[in-house]
Amino acid sequence: MKKALILLGCPEAPSQTPMALYSTYKLTKIGYEVTIASTPSAMKLLEVSDPEGFYVKKKIDIESCLEDLEEGSFDLLLGFVHKDAAVSYFVTFYHILNTASMALVFEKDSEILEKMEKDLKESTDATVISARAYHNPTPLRVKFDRAIKGLED
Amino acid sequence: MSFCLETYLRESANFEILISQAGFKECKKIIEEHSPEIIPVKAGEKILGVRIIGLPPIPIGINEEKGTITLPYTKPCYGTSVVELPVKKEEIDKIKAVGIK
Repeated sequence: MKKALILLGCPEAPSQTPMALYSTYKLTKIGYEVTIASTPSAMKLLEVSDPEGFYVKKKIDIESCLEDLEEGSFDLLLGFVHKDAAVSYFVTFYHILNTASMALVFEKDSEILEKMEKDLKESTDATVISARAYHNPTPLRVKFDRAIKGLED
Repeated sequence: MSFCLETYLRESANFEILISQAGFKECKKIIEEHSPEIIPVKAGEKILGVRIIGLPPIPIGINEEKGTITLPYTKPCYGTSVVELPVKKEEIDKIKAVGIK
């Protein structure tokens, strides 16, 4: 079974948790075993949203995950990026894993959004999906669905 | 026992924070301006026992005269800080050994 790692950022953006559950659902549906790496606070939000672990089967603390990460540990990296620190984390995971990667970049401020997108493109060859989104996950979900379609084909 | 940056920052007061909660590129510039010597390393390289986070090449500042190194330190919710701390000569040698040629 192919393995995907979903990398979450700081949980203060409301779109992150529903999109994390949604992307876990979608990736599982197309045959990936999904692990979510996150901070303890982002993990709490996931645990409350999915109390019986219906969607999220495997989760790990972001720092422990990074510590033990090796090239080839996962077949797909999907990172949520809505802060400068998340750009740094995604780029670092990307370079260690050296695998197919996709960054979901979202922010309400278009200048910050463009800057994060530019930094990701300068430092990786990952697929970058970006949308002006904060509370409303729909713009991000629509673009993510299109990108996932590419993985299915 | 090998040096561990996380433990050091938690238990020691002997370090200086040059900037905190900043963007990575701003921190990179500060390290480059502050340090007499720069060793660029790969993203994820283990420095002082922890994986270094950022956009490669990541600069590690070396000041052999002071016996310090200056490096970026990133946390998901707090952005990137720049920390200068004293290290033994052998730690500086280890960093030089993993530097991008």
